[in-house]
Amino acid sequence: MLLVKAGGRALLNVSEIARDLAAYSPFVLVHGGGDQVTSYSLKMGVTPRIVISPSGVKSRYTDARELEVYIMVMAGKLNKEIVSKLLDRGVKAAGISGLDGPTLIAERKRKIVVVEKGRRRVVPGGYTGRIVAVDTSLIRALLSGGFSVVLAPVARGTQGEALNVDGDQAAYQLALALKPEKLVILSDVDGVEVDGSPMRGMSWLEAAELAKAVGPGMNRKLLMASKAAEAGVEVVIASGLKESPVTRALGGEGTRVKP
Amino acid sequence: MKAFCPVCGGEVELPEDVMPGELLECQSCGATLEVYEQESAFKLREAEEIGEDWGE
Repeated sequence: MLLVKAGGRALLNVSEIARDLAAYSPFVLVHGGGDQVTSYSLKMGVTPRIVISPSGVKSRYTDARELEVYIMVMAGKLNKEIVSKLLDRGVKAAGISGLDGPTLIAERKRKIVVVEKGRRRVVPGGYTGRIVAVDTSLIRALLSGGFSVVLAPVARGTQGEALNVDGDQAAYQLALALKPEKLVILSDVDGVEVDGSPMRGMSWLEAAELAKAVGPGMNRKLLMASKAAEAGVEVVIASGLKESPVTRALGGEGTRVKP
Repeated sequence: MKAFCPVCGGEVELPEDVMPGELLECQSCGATLEVYEQESAFKLREAEEIGEDWGE
């Protein structure tokens, strides 16, 4: 079974990703979509508060109103658009969020560190969470029924609240629990680059080291890829914006992190 | 404006526009400290380690 994570920017190519993925069903696809949530927040009159982490990653601050939009877009519109594209390609597909089951259980982050006026500051964590447990029974039931699963990064909090969780983290946690043949992470870049040169392959130990040196965004992807590979799952980080992006990733394009 | 490091007792200079929650480093012992407000005064406590694993 193949596990794929497609980030919000890779989803600009969703029709092609769906066409390509049809050959690998049943599979599990975790999607992102932060940019799409921001766009709908603005349309709905909820001005997103953008905060910057100390390593330079820009994120939306998820307050109670933003969480409502997040769930509407992630577990609703975006998730169902992807499911529709897969159905168009003849894939038996079911869209769920991590809240269903529940599949993803997360602990709400009490505090986060942001950068304001160039200085680090601790602020309340809003409705974001760190995944602490995974229950694969719903996913396994769907897979055994021949359904491919499209999962939105919404988790059930330990206090019963819905939480915004990072899609890469969701994919990594699912990789540990499902032990897929491979985890393919599709983003808007051709893999990991060091000083402008693409890295073709590396061990999980090298990936953990390199995570300290690469830019924000990719550093977290590499760290999670390293942990998944340490647990025995090969990870490929590749562009989702090409023709046949999954087949290309499995065929050697992008960056491989090996167990 | 000054406050005291709860770890080593050293004096820590606060920025003029100090913000509650701001993280500062004690120049004496290197501890990372969080500014908090109590009875209209800014005080310092040792900061807990907070990861960057936010949501989407």
